[in-house]
Amino acid sequence: MTTSVQDTPTRRRSRPAASERRSPLAALVRWIALGATALVMLVPLYVLVISAFKPQEEIVRHPLEISPSTFTLEFLWNAITSSKFNVIAAYGITLLFVALVNLFCILLSAPVAYVIARGRRKWHMALLLLFVSGLFIPGQVTLIPVVFVLRVLGLINTIPGFILFETAATLPVTIFLFSAYLRTVPRDIDEAAALDGAGRIRIFWSCIFPIMRPVVATVVVLNSIGVWNDFVSPQIILGAGSGIYTVTTGVYAAVGEFSTDYTVVFPTLLLAIAPIVVFFIIMQRHIIGGLVAGATKG
Amino acid sequence: MLTDNVAPTALRERARDAGSRRPSARWGDRLAGVVMAAPAVIVFIAMFIVPMILAFVLSLTDWNGYSLRFDFIGFDNYRFAFRNPRTIDAAVFTAVIAVTGTILCNAVGLALAALISGPGRANTVLRTIFFYPYIISALIIGFLWSALLSPHGAVNGLLGTVGMAPVPFLTDPSFAKATVILTIVWAHFGFNMILYIAGIKSVPTEFYEAATVDGASRWQQFRSVTVPMIAPVVTVNLVLTLVGLLKVYDVVLALTDGGPAASTQTIVYQILKDSFAQSRLGLGAAQSVVLLVITAAIGLAVTFARRGAERKVTD
Repeated sequence: MTTSVQDTPTRRRSRPAASERRSPLAALVRWIALGATALVMLVPLYVLVISAFKPQEEIVRHPLEISPSTFTLEFLWNAITSSKFNVIAAYGITLLFVALVNLFCILLSAPVAYVIARGRRKWHMALLLLFVSGLFIPGQVTLIPVVFVLRVLGLINTIPGFILFETAATLPVTIFLFSAYLRTVPRDIDEAAALDGAGRIRIFWSCIFPIMRPVVATVVVLNSIGVWNDFVSPQIILGAGSGIYTVTTGVYAAVGEFSTDYTVVFPTLLLAIAPIVVFFIIMQRHIIGGLVAGATKG
Repeated sequence: MLTDNVAPTALRERARDAGSRRPSARWGDRLAGVVMAAPAVIVFIAMFIVPMILAFVLSLTDWNGYSLRFDFIGFDNYRFAFRNPRTIDAAVFTAVIAVTGTILCNAVGLALAALISGPGRANTVLRTIFFYPYIISALIIGFLWSALLSPHGAVNGLLGTVGMAPVPFLTDPSFAKATVILTIVWAHFGFNMILYIAGIKSVPTEFYEAATVDGASRWQQFRSVTVPMIAPVVTVNLVLTLVGLLKVYDVVLALTDGGPAASTQTIVYQILKDSFAQSRLGLGAAQSVVLLVITAAIGLAVTFARRGAERKVTD
């Protein structure tokens, strides 16, 4: 270590990077480790993308290469027009589910979080604890009795039944994040609005809810990724018989049977991951921030 | 809506008005509170509380999932599950996944977090590269690696071109188990890394400056400043990963479908197979109840055990 007390001020800015303080050998080892890990992460994605544009033999023989002579859009087009898995419909249905779950989640969670955050009585705390206990109940455990409940309600294998379950699953984290955020919103706003004669419900939706934008964004990110990627709930609750496929259940239906025909597998997987990867690249900071907030506060 | 230009007198009048109406206004407020809370509470009770109780009730029955009729059969489902070698094997493999997966995800995640927590374009790009699989569905991760690691897949193809024998990643039970765990780690460690980076960034710089003045090397700084300071983040990471891995299903379904020879079946795989492929939802419910108890116990135990490590920091 060659650092001395004098260079502290400049180091403060660059402390975490600090590679200039490392010996050349340490820096080399660091970059080799990072580079190797990056390759392990990226090569599978690279193979997935290029294999969507090659015939079976090329995929097996030359997994890492893509040559213009064998490049083809035929298999991607087959996957798009496949009768087993209607990708466009699956995108639409999954997006609809994402939108509906977000909408109902916010409509249900925001008012109750406001009541909890503003409440000073014991039952407000009890209400929060009730919802937070849901964080410790894994969805797989309640899935079987939920099937029973939905059967009693006549909602099994229906879209409303699925939306109901998915929305309920988002409540614990959402209510926790919302009420934590609302505690930081000053009561003065409520009081000013009350002075103006507005009722509580109206105060909430017109004065408080617009302030909640950042935490609503966090929740929308968490819910959207969760619903888009969920496989078990749509598979069980919607069921194969309903004919409604999300992206994940559609991929399972299309790829499950043909897992050795790579000209089906790779184009289908590419179509399935393309929207979420694009969404991730655009919304990266919000997604990472949202996941960190959801995990550490929840 | 708030009106912007209310005359002061009008405001005062309204305030007095509100004051005089207080008892009824309070009733109105309370009613509004109930109206605002009720929908979420009803949905939560219907989809969480009732199912929790029903899970136990159904675990004592022979419910088949289709009709609404069933008979109570006592603790037969529990007895069957605990004596069924398939369930025991699945439970053991799930425990192996949870323990080794948690150790690997956290070790790799923390190590990389320490290397790239700083600012700078290269670090940001590397974070994205390490993290991206986490936002892809586990089912698709499973299908991708299944295609890459199969006997005719890309990895064995490349091994062939350099003259090596194919590796039975998915066709030999021991290899398949290792493949499942490593695939999970590949897709998950980026999430742990992101949480560790958030933790490391929250450590005040002064601590490192003090350590540098004392002549601590980077490794010493990491061990005696970073690790104790991020103890709460370590706890969150351990609990989330451990509890999450106890529920592993999608990736196994796509990667190995529980095979070869049922060697990679996990407990949730077993629950869903018994419930929906065999139409024995009572048996599935019994196994779910056991899983819930184990999950809660492990979550609480780790949180409790980590308290000591966290308290050291605050003292």
